[in-house]
Amino acid sequence: MSEATANVWAPRSAWAGYAKPGRHGRTQGDAGVRLTLRDGIALATVIAADGQTDALRALVSERYGWTLPEPGKSQVSRERGLVWSAPGQWLAVAETRDALRELPDVFRGIAAVTDQSDGRAVVRVSGPNARTLLEKGVAVDLHPRSFQAGRTAVTSISHIGAQLWQLDDAPTYDLAVARSFTGSFWSWLTEAAAEFGYEVEQGSAH
Amino acid sequence: MRIRCPHCGERDNGEFSYLGDATVVRPDGMSASSEAMHDYVYLRDNPAGLHRELWYHGAGCRSWLVVTRDTRTHEIRDVSSARDVALARHTGDAA
Repeated sequence: MSEATANVWAPRSAWAGYAKPGRHGRTQGDAGVRLTLRDGIALATVIAADGQTDALRALVSERYGWTLPEPGKSQVSRERGLVWSAPGQWLAVAETRDALRELPDVFRGIAAVTDQSDGRAVVRVSGPNARTLLEKGVAVDLHPRSFQAGRTAVTSISHIGAQLWQLDDAPTYDLAVARSFTGSFWSWLTEAAAEFGYEVEQGSAH
Repeated sequence: MRIRCPHCGERDNGEFSYLGDATVVRPDGMSASSEAMHDYVYLRDNPAGLHRELWYHGAGCRSWLVVTRDTRTHEIRDVSSARDVALARHTGDAA
Protein backbone atom coordinates (compact mmCIF):
# COMPACT_ATOMS: atom_id res chain seq x y z
CA MET A 1 0.00 0.00 0.00
CA SER A 2 1.42 3.39 -0.93
CA GLU A 3 1.97 5.99 1.75
CA ALA A 4 -0.54 8.31 0.11
CA THR A 5 -3.30 5.70 0.45
CA ALA A 6 -2.41 5.07 4.07
CA ASN A 7 -2.72 8.79 4.84
CA VAL A 8 -6.30 8.90 3.54
CA TRP A 9 -7.32 6.66 6.42
CA ALA A 10 -5.31 8.41 9.12
CA PRO A 11 -7.43 9.49 12.09
CA ARG A 12 -8.13 13.20 12.07
CA SER A 13 -9.56 15.63 14.54
CA ALA A 14 -13.22 16.55 14.19
CA TRP A 15 -12.03 20.18 14.09
CA ALA A 16 -9.35 19.59 11.43
CA GLY A 17 -9.70 22.03 8.57
CA TYR A 18 -11.84 24.44 10.61
CA ALA A 19 -10.16 25.40 13.87
CA LYS A 20 -6.76 27.05 13.85
CA PRO A 21 -4.89 27.39 17.15
CA GLY A 22 -4.00 30.97 18.06
CA ARG A 23 -5.59 34.33 18.73
CA HIS A 24 -8.54 35.39 16.57
CA GLY A 25 -11.29 38.00 16.49
CA ARG A 26 -10.89 41.31 18.34
CA THR A 27 -7.20 42.04 18.63
CA GLN A 28 -7.21 44.59 21.49
CA GLY A 29 -6.82 43.45 25.08
CA ASP A 30 -6.92 39.96 26.49
CA ALA A 31 -9.00 37.33 24.75
CA GLY A 32 -12.48 37.14 26.26
CA VAL A 33 -13.02 33.53 25.26
CA ARG A 34 -10.83 30.46 25.25
CA LEU A 35 -11.84 27.55 22.99
CA THR A 36 -10.10 24.29 23.82
CA LEU A 37 -10.52 21.53 21.24
CA ARG A 38 -11.19 18.34 23.18
CA ASP A 39 -9.71 15.72 20.89
CA GLY A 40 -8.91 12.25 22.10
CA ILE A 41 -11.50 12.10 24.85
CA ALA A 42 -13.94 9.21 25.17
CA LEU A 43 -17.71 9.57 24.91
CA ALA A 44 -20.40 6.91 25.09
CA THR A 45 -24.16 6.96 25.43
CA VAL A 46 -25.50 4.77 28.20
CA ILE A 47 -29.18 3.81 27.89
CA ALA A 48 -30.74 1.92 30.79
CA ALA A 49 -32.68 -1.20 29.85
CA ASP A 50 -36.38 -1.10 30.70
CA GLY A 51 -36.79 -1.11 34.48
CA GLN A 52 -33.02 -1.26 35.11
CA THR A 53 -32.39 2.35 36.12
CA ASP A 54 -32.14 1.47 39.82
CA ALA A 55 -29.71 -1.36 39.05
CA LEU A 56 -27.63 1.05 36.93
CA ARG A 57 -27.67 3.63 39.74
CA ALA A 58 -26.42 1.04 42.23
CA LEU A 59 -23.74 -0.21 39.85
CA VAL A 60 -22.23 3.18 38.96
CA SER A 61 -22.20 4.13 42.61
CA GLU A 62 -20.56 0.90 43.73
CA ARG A 63 -18.03 0.64 40.92
CA TYR A 64 -17.17 4.26 40.12
CA GLY A 65 -18.46 6.20 43.10
CA TRP A 66 -20.69 8.25 40.80
CA THR A 67 -24.21 9.42 41.46
CA LEU A 68 -26.42 8.72 38.46
CA PRO A 69 -27.33 12.30 37.46
CA GLU A 70 -30.96 13.41 37.71
CA PRO A 71 -32.56 15.14 34.68
CA GLY A 72 -30.62 18.28 33.75
CA LYS A 73 -27.64 17.36 35.94
CA SER A 74 -24.13 16.12 35.34
CA GLN A 75 -21.58 14.47 37.54
CA VAL A 76 -18.10 15.01 36.15
CA SER A 77 -15.05 15.15 38.36
CA ARG A 78 -11.44 15.03 37.22
CA GLU A 79 -12.66 14.76 33.62
CA ARG A 80 -14.67 11.59 34.19
CA GLY A 81 -18.32 11.02 34.79
CA LEU A 82 -21.85 11.01 33.47
CA VAL A 83 -23.97 13.72 31.91
CA TRP A 84 -27.75 13.25 31.79
CA SER A 85 -29.00 13.49 28.21
CA ALA A 86 -32.56 12.08 28.04
CA PRO A 87 -34.90 10.05 30.26
CA GLY A 88 -33.02 6.84 31.05
CA GLN A 89 -30.04 8.00 29.02
CA TRP A 90 -26.64 9.45 29.94
CA LEU A 91 -23.46 10.49 28.19
CA ALA A 92 -20.34 8.97 29.74
CA VAL A 93 -17.23 11.14 29.36
CA ALA A 94 -13.59 10.41 30.13
CA GLU A 95 -10.23 11.97 29.36
CA THR A 96 -8.78 8.98 27.51
CA ARG A 97 -10.22 6.57 24.96
CA ASP A 98 -9.28 3.53 27.03
CA ALA A 99 -11.15 4.75 30.10
CA LEU A 100 -14.60 3.71 28.78
CA ARG A 101 -13.67 0.50 26.99
CA GLU A 102 -14.89 -1.66 29.85
CA LEU A 103 -18.36 -0.07 30.00
CA PRO A 104 -20.19 -2.53 27.68
CA ASP A 105 -19.05 -5.44 29.84
CA VAL A 106 -19.64 -3.67 33.13
CA PHE A 107 -23.20 -2.66 32.16
CA ARG A 108 -24.11 -5.90 30.36
CA GLY A 109 -27.80 -6.69 30.86
CA ILE A 110 -28.40 -3.35 32.58
CA ALA A 111 -27.67 -0.70 29.97
CA ALA A 112 -26.80 -0.37 26.29
CA VAL A 113 -23.49 1.40 25.66
CA THR A 114 -22.68 3.06 22.33
CA ASP A 115 -19.29 4.60 21.63
CA GLN A 116 -19.61 8.25 20.53
CA SER A 117 -15.93 9.21 20.77
CA ASP A 118 -15.66 9.78 17.03
CA GLY A 119 -19.33 10.72 16.61
CA ARG A 120 -19.32 13.99 18.52
CA ALA A 121 -17.01 16.95 18.49
CA VAL A 122 -16.40 18.58 21.87
CA VAL A 123 -15.06 22.05 22.57
CA ARG A 124 -14.40 23.56 25.99
CA VAL A 125 -15.58 27.16 26.26
CA SER A 126 -14.04 29.28 29.02
CA GLY A 127 -12.79 32.80 29.67
CA PRO A 128 -14.45 35.93 31.07
CA ASN A 129 -16.97 36.19 28.19
CA ALA A 130 -17.82 32.48 27.94
CA ARG A 131 -21.36 32.85 29.28
CA THR A 132 -22.10 36.00 27.28
CA LEU A 133 -20.93 34.20 24.17
CA LEU A 134 -23.15 31.16 24.70
CA GLU A 135 -26.13 33.33 25.61
CA LYS A 136 -26.05 34.61 22.03
CA GLY A 137 -27.06 31.18 20.75
CA VAL A 138 -28.46 29.08 23.58
CA ALA A 139 -32.19 29.50 24.31
CA VAL A 140 -31.75 28.25 27.87
CA ASP A 141 -31.21 30.60 30.82
CA LEU A 142 -27.50 30.24 31.68
CA HIS A 143 -27.57 32.82 34.51
CA PRO A 144 -26.06 31.32 37.70
CA ARG A 145 -29.43 31.55 39.46
CA SER A 146 -30.78 28.86 37.13
CA PHE A 147 -27.74 27.14 35.59
CA GLN A 148 -24.60 26.29 37.52
CA ALA A 149 -21.69 23.86 37.58
CA GLY A 150 -23.13 20.35 37.42
CA ARG A 151 -25.98 21.34 35.10
CA THR A 152 -26.50 20.21 31.51
CA ALA A 153 -28.82 21.11 28.65
CA VAL A 154 -29.64 19.32 25.43
CA THR A 155 -30.78 22.01 23.05
CA SER A 156 -29.96 23.53 19.69
CA ILE A 157 -27.56 26.31 18.79
CA SER A 158 -27.99 27.97 15.43
CA HIS A 159 -30.33 25.09 14.45
CA ILE A 160 -27.62 22.55 15.30
CA GLY A 161 -28.35 19.96 17.98
CA ALA A 162 -25.96 20.52 20.87
CA GLN A 163 -25.39 19.36 24.41
CA LEU A 164 -23.57 21.51 26.92
CA TRP A 165 -22.57 20.89 30.50
CA GLN A 166 -21.09 23.39 32.93
CA LEU A 167 -17.92 22.24 34.69
CA ASP A 168 -17.18 25.04 37.15
CA ASP A 169 -18.30 28.48 38.27
CA ALA A 170 -15.65 30.34 36.22
CA PRO A 171 -17.77 29.43 34.19
CA THR A 172 -16.34 26.68 32.00
CA TYR A 173 -18.57 24.68 29.65
CA ASP A 174 -18.06 21.60 27.52
CA LEU A 175 -20.11 21.65 24.36
CA ALA A 176 -20.76 18.66 22.10
CA VAL A 177 -22.22 18.60 18.60
CA ALA A 178 -22.56 15.80 16.06
CA ARG A 179 -19.22 15.56 14.30
CA SER A 180 -20.64 16.13 10.82
CA PHE A 181 -21.93 19.53 11.98
CA THR A 182 -18.50 20.69 13.17
CA GLY A 183 -17.97 23.09 10.26
CA SER A 184 -21.34 24.82 10.57
CA PHE A 185 -21.08 24.94 14.34
CA TRP A 186 -17.55 26.35 14.26
CA SER A 187 -18.77 29.04 11.89
CA TRP A 188 -21.42 30.13 14.42
CA LEU A 189 -19.09 29.83 17.41
CA THR A 190 -16.28 31.89 15.93
CA GLU A 191 -18.61 34.57 14.50
CA ALA A 192 -20.18 34.89 17.95
CA ALA A 193 -16.81 34.91 19.75
CA ALA A 194 -15.07 37.39 17.45
CA GLU A 195 -16.28 40.51 19.29
CA PHE A 196 -14.63 39.31 22.52
CA GLY A 197 -11.39 38.10 20.93
CA TYR A 198 -10.82 34.37 21.27
CA GLU A 199 -7.93 32.01 21.74
CA VAL A 200 -8.09 28.54 20.17
CA GLU A 201 -5.96 25.85 21.73
CA GLN A 202 -5.56 22.16 21.23
CA GLY A 203 -6.58 20.10 24.21
CA SER A 204 -4.22 17.38 25.29
CA ALA A 205 -4.52 14.52 22.81
CA HIS A 206 -3.95 11.01 24.03
CA MET B 1 -44.96 30.08 23.24
CA ARG B 2 -42.84 28.02 25.62
CA ILE B 3 -43.40 24.46 26.75
CA ARG B 4 -42.20 23.26 30.14
CA CYS B 5 -40.72 19.87 29.30
CA PRO B 6 -40.97 17.62 32.36
CA HIS B 7 -37.37 16.52 31.73
CA CYS B 8 -35.62 19.64 30.41
CA GLY B 9 -37.54 22.56 31.90
CA GLU B 10 -39.04 25.49 30.03
CA ARG B 11 -38.02 25.58 26.36
CA ASP B 12 -38.84 27.55 23.25
CA ASN B 13 -41.52 25.85 21.15
CA GLY B 14 -39.09 25.74 18.20
CA GLU B 15 -37.42 22.80 19.97
CA PHE B 16 -40.65 20.80 19.66
CA SER B 17 -42.74 19.47 16.83
CA TYR B 18 -46.48 18.99 16.96
CA LEU B 19 -48.19 15.72 16.11
CA GLY B 20 -51.85 16.09 17.00
CA ASP B 21 -54.64 14.88 19.23
CA ALA B 22 -53.36 12.83 22.19
CA THR B 23 -56.76 11.52 23.20
CA VAL B 24 -57.48 9.21 20.27
CA VAL B 25 -56.80 5.52 20.93
CA ARG B 26 -56.41 3.01 18.15
CA PRO B 27 -59.27 0.49 18.24
CA ASP B 28 -58.57 -3.21 18.03
CA GLY B 29 -58.29 -3.59 14.25
CA MET B 30 -59.56 -7.20 14.28
CA SER B 31 -62.83 -6.42 16.01
CA ALA B 32 -63.54 -2.70 15.41
CA SER B 33 -66.17 -1.66 12.89
CA SER B 34 -65.05 0.20 9.79
CA GLU B 35 -66.88 3.27 11.20
CA ALA B 36 -64.75 3.11 14.36
CA MET B 37 -61.53 2.81 12.31
CA HIS B 38 -62.64 5.67 10.04
CA ASP B 39 -63.30 7.79 13.13
CA TYR B 40 -59.89 6.91 14.57
CA VAL B 41 -57.97 7.60 11.36
CA TYR B 42 -59.77 10.66 9.98
CA LEU B 43 -62.07 12.42 12.41
CA ARG B 44 -60.73 14.95 14.89
CA ASP B 45 -62.45 17.37 17.22
CA ASN B 46 -61.34 20.97 17.03
CA PRO B 47 -62.19 22.26 20.48
CA ALA B 48 -62.16 25.93 21.49
CA GLY B 49 -60.63 25.40 24.90
CA LEU B 50 -58.56 22.69 26.53
CA HIS B 51 -56.96 20.24 24.14
CA ARG B 52 -54.64 17.33 24.89
CA GLU B 53 -52.04 17.04 22.17
CA LEU B 54 -48.80 15.22 21.38
CA TRP B 55 -45.56 17.14 21.05
CA TYR B 56 -42.08 15.76 20.37
CA HIS B 57 -39.07 17.40 22.05
CA GLY B 58 -36.79 16.68 19.09
CA ALA B 59 -34.15 19.31 19.83
CA GLY B 60 -33.98 18.34 23.50
CA CYS B 61 -34.51 15.04 25.27
CA ARG B 62 -36.29 13.39 22.25
CA SER B 63 -39.29 12.57 24.44
CA TRP B 64 -42.91 12.45 23.35
CA LEU B 65 -45.06 14.66 25.56
CA VAL B 66 -48.76 15.12 26.19
CA VAL B 67 -49.47 18.85 26.42
CA THR B 68 -52.78 20.15 27.75
CA ARG B 69 -53.23 23.52 26.03
CA ASP B 70 -56.06 26.02 25.83
CA THR B 71 -56.50 26.58 22.09
CA ARG B 72 -58.03 30.03 22.72
CA THR B 73 -55.17 31.47 24.78
CA HIS B 74 -52.24 29.07 24.24
CA GLU B 75 -52.12 28.72 28.02
CA ILE B 76 -50.49 25.40 28.87
CA ARG B 77 -52.08 23.68 31.87
CA ASP B 78 -50.05 20.49 32.00
CA VAL B 79 -47.17 18.70 30.30
CA SER B 80 -46.63 15.00 30.91
CA SER B 81 -44.41 12.32 29.48
CA ALA B 82 -46.42 10.43 26.82
CA ARG B 83 -44.81 7.23 28.07
CA ASP B 84 -46.24 7.82 31.55
CA VAL B 85 -49.66 8.65 30.09
CA ALA B 86 -49.65 5.45 28.00
CA LEU B 87 -48.51 3.31 30.94
CA ALA B 88 -51.25 4.81 33.14
CA ARG B 89 -53.80 4.07 30.39
CA HIS B 90 -52.72 0.42 30.26
CA THR B 91 -52.87 0.17 34.04
CA GLY B 92 -56.40 1.57 33.79
CA ASP B 93 -57.31 -1.09 31.20
CA ALA B 94 -56.05 -3.87 33.44
CA ALA B 95 -57.98 -2.63 36.48
